[in-house]
Formats: sequence, C-alpha cells, structure tokens
Amino acid sequence: MEINLFHNLAIGFGAAASFSNIGFALIGCLVGTLIGVLPGIGPVATIAMLLPITFGLGPLASLIMLAGIFYGAQYGGSTTSILVNMPGEVSSIVTCIDGHQMARQGRAGAALAIAALGSFFAGCFATVFVAAFGPPLAAVAQQFNSPDYFSLMVLGLVTAVVLAHGSVIKAVGMVLVGLLFGLVGTDVNSGTTRYTLGISDLWDGIDFLPLVIGMFGIVEIINNLEQPTLPRSAASTRFRELWPSKNDFKESWRAVLRGTGLGSILGILPGGGAVLASFASYTLEKKVAKDPSRFGKGAIEGVAGPEAANNAAAQTSFIPLLTLGLPSNAVMALMMGAMIIQGIQPGAAVMNTRPDLFWGLVASMWIGNGMLLVINLPLIGIWVRLLALPYRLLYPAILLFCVIGVYATNPNVTQLMLTALFAVFGYILMKFGCEPAPLILGFILGPLMEENLRRALILSRGDPMVFIQRPISAILLAITAVIIALIVLPQIRRTREKAFQE
Amino acid sequence: MLRVKSPQDLGAAIVFIVIGLAGLYAGKDLSFGTASHMGPGFFPTWINFLILAIGVGVGLKALAIEGPRIEPFQLRPILFIVAAIVIFGLLINGVGMALSAIVMTIFAAYARRGVRVTETILLAAGLAVFSVIVFVYVLGQAVPAWWGR
Repeated sequence: MEINLFHNLAIGFGAAASFSNIGFALIGCLVGTLIGVLPGIGPVATIAMLLPITFGLGPLASLIMLAGIFYGAQYGGSTTSILVNMPGEVSSIVTCIDGHQMARQGRAGAALAIAALGSFFAGCFATVFVAAFGPPLAAVAQQFNSPDYFSLMVLGLVTAVVLAHGSVIKAVGMVLVGLLFGLVGTDVNSGTTRYTLGISDLWDGIDFLPLVIGMFGIVEIINNLEQPTLPRSAASTRFRELWPSKNDFKESWRAVLRGTGLGSILGILPGGGAVLASFASYTLEKKVAKDPSRFGKGAIEGVAGPEAANNAAAQTSFIPLLTLGLPSNAVMALMMGAMIIQGIQPGAAVMNTRPDLFWGLVASMWIGNGMLLVINLPLIGIWVRLLALPYRLLYPAILLFCVIGVYATNPNVTQLMLTALFAVFGYILMKFGCEPAPLILGFILGPLMEENLRRALILSRGDPMVFIQRPISAILLAITAVIIALIVLPQIRRTREKAFQE
Repeated sequence: MLRVKSPQDLGAAIVFIVIGLAGLYAGKDLSFGTASHMGPGFFPTWINFLILAIGVGVGLKALAIEGPRIEPFQLRPILFIVAAIVIFGLLINGVGMALSAIVMTIFAAYARRGVRVTETILLAAGLAVFSVIVFVYVLGQAVPAWWGR
C-alpha cells in the first residue's frame, strides 16, 4: 500500500512535471489569481470564465491548468477578502473577519503570507490524502451497479443541498430544474428531441458555458452594479512588511494543522467543500483559543485555520469526483463539465484506464499549490494595484471576456442569446433567494441519473424495489432518508410552534 | 385571511410552478413508456411533477413562515448588460471582434449612472485592442478580428 502510494505519485509527477505542464499550471495560477482577485468574483465565476482557454489543450494539460486556475482563484479571493473586505464567495467571508482587521492594523502582509503558507501546507497534506484514499474508494466504486449509482447520485444531491447555505426546499427545486435542463436535447435512447423548442442548436443539449457564465458570471456583475456602493479599492491598506513575525508563526501553526485535518475530512462530503470547512475551522479556533475575544479584531489564527481548511477541502473534494464521478459542489461540477468536454467520463474507471491522468491531476494539485507560494506571493504588489482599479473600469472588461469565452468555444450566436437568457433567469432567481449552485449540480448529473435509472429498471424488469434489494443501494438510500429526516423534522416542529403562537 | 409572509418564497414558488407546468406541456408528446422500457418522457415527467410539488410546497411555506422581502428590481443594470451581450452576438459574425468589443463595452458602461464619455471610449478602444491581440492572435480563437476575416 505504502509503496503503491509513492509509486502512484511517481507516475503522477512523471506525467505532470513536464516542462509544458508546469507552464500550464503556472499560467493557470496566474490568470486564476488575476480574475479571482477582482472584487465580487468567486472561484465558480472565475473558473467558468476561464474554462474556454483550456479547451484547446490535451486532457491532462487542460485539467492541470484548470486546477491551477482553481487554486489561483481561491487565493485571489482571499487576497481581496483581506485587503478590501469584499468576499467573492461564501467561503471567504470567514477570512474577511480577521484578515481585514489585520490589514487595517497594517499587517496585511502577514495575513496574506500566512494564508498562502497555511494553504500550501494544507495542500501538501491533502495531496497525499487524495492519493491514499482515492484508490480504496475507487475499488469500492467498482462494485457499484446502475441502481447503486442512481442511489449514490440521489444521496450526493441531497447532501449537497442540505450542507449548502440557504433554503433547503428551494435548493431541491433548483436541483430538479437543473436535472430538467440537463435533459434538453436528443434522447440518446430513442433519438427523440426533447424540449428543444424547435431550435436546432439545442439538439445537442444546452451547452455548459452559456449556463454557468450566464447564471454565475453575468449575474454577479449585475448584482455588484445594483449595490449602492460599488466595490471599493484597496487604497487604505499599508504594507509594513510581507513576512510574518516569529510570534505570528507561533500563534498560527496549530491552527493550520487543525484546519488541514478538518478541511481534508469535510472536503470529501458531498456539498461540503471549502465553505463548510472554513466556517467549521473558524468556529473550532475560536473554541480552543485561550482568549476568544481576540477573534474579530485581527487574530491570526482566524486567518490561518480557515485558509488551510478551505484549501485542504478544495483538494479533497476531488475525491468523490475522481472516484465516484460525483461532483460535490459547483466547482467540481465545472471540473466534471470540463472533463466531459475533453471526452473523459469521471469515475472509478479513469484510475485504471488513464492512470497518468488521475495521478497527474493529483500531482498537479501539489504543483499548483507550490506555484501559488513561489510565484504569487511575490507578485502581491501587482494584485494590490489591480484591486485599486475602480469597478466601473473592471466590469465591462469582465463582461467582454465572459462573452468572448462563450463565443470562442462555440462560435454560434445562439450561445450568446442563451447566455443572456440564463443571465435574466439567474437574476430573477437571485431576487427570490434561490442559489444557482444546486442547479449546476443537477444539470451535470441529469443525463447520468436518467441513464442509470433506465438501466436499473431494465435489469429489474421495471420493479422499483431493486433500489432497496441491492445492499449498496439500500444503504445509500437509508443514509439519504436519515439526512432528510434530520433536516425536515426540526423544521416541521418549528413551523408548528410558530403557527401555534399566532 | 391569506397573507403572503415571505415574498421571496412566493416568487420562487411561481417560478417553479411555471417551469413544472411548461415542462409538462412541452413534453406532452414525449412517450412515457413503462418502467422497464422508459420512453423519452418517463424521467422528465417525473422531474416536472417533482418541480411542481416543490413549487406548491414553497408556495405554502410563503404563506406560513415569515421571510425576507424581495430586493427591488433595478432595470438599468440588467437591461444594459443583457443588451450588451445580445448586441455583441448580433454584431460579431458581421463586423468582427474589434468593433463588436467597442460597441459592447459602451453599452456595458451605461449599465451604471454617471458615465464618463471620454473614459468609456478610451476603455472600449483599449479592450478592443487587447482582446484582438490576446484572443485572436495569441490564443488563436476562431473569431474574426475585423469584418469577415
């Protein structure tokens, strides 16, 4: 096992550490940070915008570049949180709390450096974690049959919905709408076109990019424009020194260790990922601290722990995707979309059929983290200057790149009209408090769920009991039922109490 | 007396119900098949009924539980941003990257109040040059730079 692990990692580094692949990782990190650092743009929007530039590359190179973009985007988001108190996504809200306080005390450099170092450590650990836990999980996944896969996807979608923030019932609705959107196009089995409204460009289904760019990228721009004050620039930040003091290290190394452990485990959960990890880590640090009152006033553990946790989780959330073919959050759904476009169906088979791809991606995670440290940290001055640009100049550029990205990937005017349509749709949903992330998960899984349901029911000759008769499927559905019960029961009780009070 | 307690939820409920009904209507000709031989309409029909059910559930919740109000819709940002995308789409095939980028940037700039005309024109020109160089020449994307090709 041990030997296997290092042997496998060696395959990975052999594949990933070629001169050109390191170059792609580097470019990915740089452009990822470049976009991710822009105020109000989270990793999902960043990756959606940058997806097109990876399409021309080979499968491994494009995945490596995407992973680089992902880490860059996350790090860029932390930078913005610390310097201007503008979280680009939910997981950076936590970093804002103490990180921005540190920046106001002139310790932005220390906060940024600790964030990068903590993330790097977490990344190293999580790389080994993925390498160690990937193969056993993939071996389990090989026992899976269609009914089990169907139940697994149900479980994955339900947990993703439950663990995400916001209203659970609306998130379920969004998953279902996503599933429906995923079915648009020609039915592979009967050849019938479904929901194409007579538009021939929809025969191959709704493209991934117009959907994600419209619902994430464009809606975020519109949302920022609606705020009474546009995102501010980073004028007030001063840099005394970049390097953290000895005391900073002493105060934060334990937090980094705890964050790494917590994040690695939470990352595997469907729907967990970075958001849950950073919140959990912050709560933990506050609990174990000798003097919890320092939190919120620039406690360095409040930056170190969550940053390590969210990076570890970002990495381990690749495990369910690579072994089970199950994306656990919107970022992983994007990764899965990119893989499918490259002609790879993520799942246990990838590890056997394309070991270079699987292990190369694992190795590239480590390379990407290293890039962040050696390239990005010294460039911090440039990112700060970029942040000083007013938003009125930034957003037309962002919009233009979004639109060019969509068009260049599939030079077809319908794609742009769809983008506009999904932007309006996403905007309306945002007003009604519906998060777009569950919709993306459903969209990616829609065709897979239908196919596995079909196969399962053919095997059982139409008997739905097959989902309970097969042990793996039964266990997965039982877990799903428990999770639903845990969520629904207290809600019903609360509703009834409220109703009685009136 | 029925009173809407959560306007956001009511809005979401309407969206879900409309999608569910539209899905059922648009898919009414798809054959349902049987469980052992699922037709193209089997899975979508189930999904649409579930969406409808969720819509009704969210609607009932909107009447039962207090929730946040809907942030006012501001027409200016969304109108100009969407217009910018649509116009880019209408222009790109005919006039190429440079001119489309300029027109789009100008439209986008008007999504907020207090447009500075000179600044916007400079920005548009700068972005046009940048995107022609980066996307057309460096990344070699299949987009014409100027007019046809």
